[in-house]
Amino acid sequence: MSYVTLPYPFKPVEAPPEYRGKPVVDPSKCIGCGACANACPPDAIRMEIDEAKGVKRLILDVSRCIRCARCEEVCPMGAVKLSREFELATPRKEDLVTVIELKLFRCRVCGKPTEFTVRQVEKAKSLARYLPKERFEEILESMTLCRDCRRSRYVSKLVEIEIRGYVGSMGGLHA
Amino acid sequence: MRRKPRMRSVWVFHLNTGACNGCDIEILDVLTPYYDAERLGIKLVGSPRHADALLVTGPLTRQTYYAAKAVYEAMPPTPRIVIAVGTCACSGGIFYDSYAVHGGIDKLLPVDMYVPGCPPRPEEIIYGLAQLLGLVEKKVRGETYRDEEHEFRPEAPIVDRLWYDLRQVLTRIVGYFDRETVLNEFVSLVKEAYRRSNPRQALRSLVEEYCAKEEDPRIALAMRLLLNEFETLVDRYRDEGYPVEDLLKGLE
Repeated sequence: MSYVTLPYPFKPVEAPPEYRGKPVVDPSKCIGCGACANACPPDAIRMEIDEAKGVKRLILDVSRCIRCARCEEVCPMGAVKLSREFELATPRKEDLVTVIELKLFRCRVCGKPTEFTVRQVEKAKSLARYLPKERFEEILESMTLCRDCRRSRYVSKLVEIEIRGYVGSMGGLHA
Repeated sequence: MRRKPRMRSVWVFHLNTGACNGCDIEILDVLTPYYDAERLGIKLVGSPRHADALLVTGPLTRQTYYAAKAVYEAMPPTPRIVIAVGTCACSGGIFYDSYAVHGGIDKLLPVDMYVPGCPPRPEEIIYGLAQLLGLVEKKVRGETYRDEEHEFRPEAPIVDRLWYDLRQVLTRIVGYFDRETVLNEFVSLVKEAYRRSNPRQALRSLVEEYCAKEEDPRIALAMRLLLNEFETLVDRYRDEGYPVEDLLKGLE
């Protein structure tokens, strides 16, 4: 073998530091917000809600990834990183799929699974705990509801305000 | 996967099914003396009638569908290996939902080796070919993670938010690759400043010192801009009720 030729694959080589290889999701950091799935141009990252099992799935298909690193850019937790790993050739396409299953948060009133995960609520709590106490409790109260319960809570509040206004315009309850 | 006889020398035919030529250029690189695929017995041939394997690039457009079929049928009946090179050939890639493409060569032909990448490095293509020849082992594996197996700790989310905002500002000046290095320098200055009694003043003088030493004027400019942006952000966070300065003092 001459001096010019690279002895790869008999000797390992490393990709340069700026190389964007296989995207890797850190399962201990991902909260399942879906920002990456929203940003991914070829839809290599998908978000799937499985209400029957009560989980949200992040499905990363590396065979469709174009290494644009939009996911790394938008991830609020810094969970997605494009590694320098490049030895990805495989005879089976299933080898290139990574799945992360995150538990869905259950509504505190009706107990049905919501569209966000337990980790998303934890993250929001960790941010909101620096706010004043009343504000924190108010956020917590509406945050831990599913979409339907939040809507009915909002409507009942509105109705209450309406009735109060109507009674007020009649000159009070005992007019 | 179909069983193939163990091969010693694979003659390949290069088939472009509508690729952007990125992968084609990488295939060309594989044949240069630097990577030299011929030492593995791989030889590029000019006709599918001489070929053992097809190196397919591109997302299989509707235009090339019948041409690709004809090429496959023109190959000798054995071993008829198909290697999908690049993300487009593997799955359609960025064009997967276009009306003009079928989305990957596996919609038409049975594929023996997927080499994803956009485009794959010449090493990646050599790795795929070497795997076909039995020289190396497969490394990747499909994985499923569940959240109960991995403990989740939201760490210092406000300070993290601050660094992400500063990273966005930096991207405009120093670009995507160098921003991490510059930001890490700045973060170390912030940490040092917040150990002192008057952190604002200390940070300003530290950044000035750093800029005086720095030879690259672009990095000095980026540092000054970061300082400006940092002060604005800290003020804004404090006004919103987050004790960001206390959190910064608690940094290790």
